[in-house]
Amino acid sequence: MKLITKSSLTFISASVLFFLVGSIIMYFSVRTIFSSNLNDTLLEKKTNLVKQIEPDNVERFYSNDVFVNKINSDIPSSFSDTVLIESGKYILYRKIDFSYFTSDQYYKISVLEPQKKTDILVSKIVIMNVGLAFIFFLILFFVNRHSVNNTLKIFYRTISKLEQFNLNNNDELHLDSAQLFEIKKMNSVIQKMADTIRKDFELQKEYTENVSHELQTPLAVINSKVDELMQSDNLTKQQMEQLAILMETTNRLSKINQALIFLTKIDNRFYTKGSTFSVNQLLKEQLDLFEESIQQKNIKVTLNLLDTTHIYMDKYLAETMINNLVRNAISHNNDIKEINISIENNCFIISNSGDKLTFPSDKILDRFSKSTTNKKSLGIGLSVVKSICELYHFELQYHYDGMHHFSVNFKV
Amino acid sequence: MDKKINVLLVEDEMELAVSTIRFLKENNFNCTHKSTIKLALKEIKNNSFHAALLDLGLPDGDGLSLIKEIKNKNQETGVIIVSAKDALNKKVEALELGADDYLTKPFFFPELNARIKSLVRRLNMEENKKIVLNELTLFPEEMKVLVHNKVVDLTSKEFSLLLYFISNQNRVLSKTILGEFMSSNYEDYGFSDDLVYTHIKNLKKKLASSDCPEYIKNVYGIGYKFLVD
Repeated sequence: MKLITKSSLTFISASVLFFLVGSIIMYFSVRTIFSSNLNDTLLEKKTNLVKQIEPDNVERFYSNDVFVNKINSDIPSSFSDTVLIESGKYILYRKIDFSYFTSDQYYKISVLEPQKKTDILVSKIVIMNVGLAFIFFLILFFVNRHSVNNTLKIFYRTISKLEQFNLNNNDELHLDSAQLFEIKKMNSVIQKMADTIRKDFELQKEYTENVSHELQTPLAVINSKVDELMQSDNLTKQQMEQLAILMETTNRLSKINQALIFLTKIDNRFYTKGSTFSVNQLLKEQLDLFEESIQQKNIKVTLNLLDTTHIYMDKYLAETMINNLVRNAISHNNDIKEINISIENNCFIISNSGDKLTFPSDKILDRFSKSTTNKKSLGIGLSVVKSICELYHFELQYHYDGMHHFSVNFKV
Repeated sequence: MDKKINVLLVEDEMELAVSTIRFLKENNFNCTHKSTIKLALKEIKNNSFHAALLDLGLPDGDGLSLIKEIKNKNQETGVIIVSAKDALNKKVEALELGADDYLTKPFFFPELNARIKSLVRRLNMEENKKIVLNELTLFPEEMKVLVHNKVVDLTSKEFSLLLYFISNQNRVLSKTILGEFMSSNYEDYGFSDDLVYTHIKNLKKKLASSDCPEYIKNVYGIGYKFLVD
């Protein structure tokens, strides 16, 4: 529920309750005022009547608005409301009862005064007041709505800026200056938070890159020592083999490190030089690089290049993307030895025969996910592809149906 | 090629420097080592070198600043940058300043060796551009090889492999090193073991059919060695 709806609803329900209770209270209080007025009138009439009354003419006073009844005992004077039926209509009256005593008889005399006129007056006054209050409420409602809306506009601007804020974009968050204290406070807190996050993020990125670079030199030292040892003449076969493994492992470590540096660079938008080129051409160049491996492994490659898709991006990243996909298809192939590549509808699809993944398929693009069977794989090539696709907003998809299919949609 | 090659090594990581010096000496290079820019500048003023290996991150500055000094002193000194930074812009900057080659840490010694030799060959025009080893004669620029003065038809990869072996003769070259050498820029890790095996098998076969002695020996479980007595 939006804030404006919520506040309007509260306002309306509170007002309705107020009107309901208020008008009832008002009705009765106005009526009380009027009936006390009527009481005065009745008292006056009573005084006049009592002045004129004689013991022998009591019954004579009986009229439309004065009733005289014989009673057996004295009664106290009292006011009350009563209803008379006159020509089929109920008419409300205010009435005063008092007793009159002649030498041998008690009389109860009731003097009546119609309330019809005052009733109409009461209704009119109540309606007028309620109407006035309603107009007041309407004005208040719209003024309030307008001002809340105005305030929210700044709030929504802040929200939309936050929505667009992306740490990877390298642009800083600039929030509008607001006059309202609360919004100002909120904006300044958010601004401070965003700046801190950004700074931390930058530091972390820098840290990752620096650490990776710092690792390269020690790795170079290890390599050099292993290579030196390897040249010794007096080593046993087992020692030599262990050295070979040491060198291989160090090399692997260095490759992982280099891949991480590369990934960090992609994420840091280091590669920004764009140019337009044909995907077909790029694919052919990359396939040439793998020609020997493909022959060696005896893999059958089928090309289905339907259109000449051109893309605009950093050439190095484009080459890396295609290269990693092709390499992945070659190295994770099985005995069926098939690779199908198609380019159509701005989509690059590469499929290869291969065994089912030994891990959940939604993890395939994550760093270091790899099957247990392929020891040589670093498990980082596809996440490089993913990073590149994310950078250019290409859609990268994977599915398996006996073959592994990877598709890159260049125009989403 | 009997004349020893003078190499200036500018490196601040001592352990790496020690190994590099030992390696270079073993391979018949004269090596002078300096660990700061200041000391290196003094050395450049006083002596002439065939090649210089420059580390980029030195305690008193960036090794790039030495390139100009070295080239001013002697245009024929080959400059190889050895850096932990594998950044394209750094490479471009180094090459624009006059560096001849760029090697990324961690590197393998045989690779460094091959690069220095190839660089010195390229820069010293007056030197004969062929490499002679017993019955083998190689022409690196034309990628041509003669055995007993008869041309052996090698693919470019087989030729590079042979040249690499000759540059690193009498050394054990592990499969890792050869794999790294064989893989192109893109075709990286974990792919080249089989290719190395195939190429070496083919190279050995072609050389053998031209009556070339079997120099390339299999070092079981580790790699290969180009053995010359």
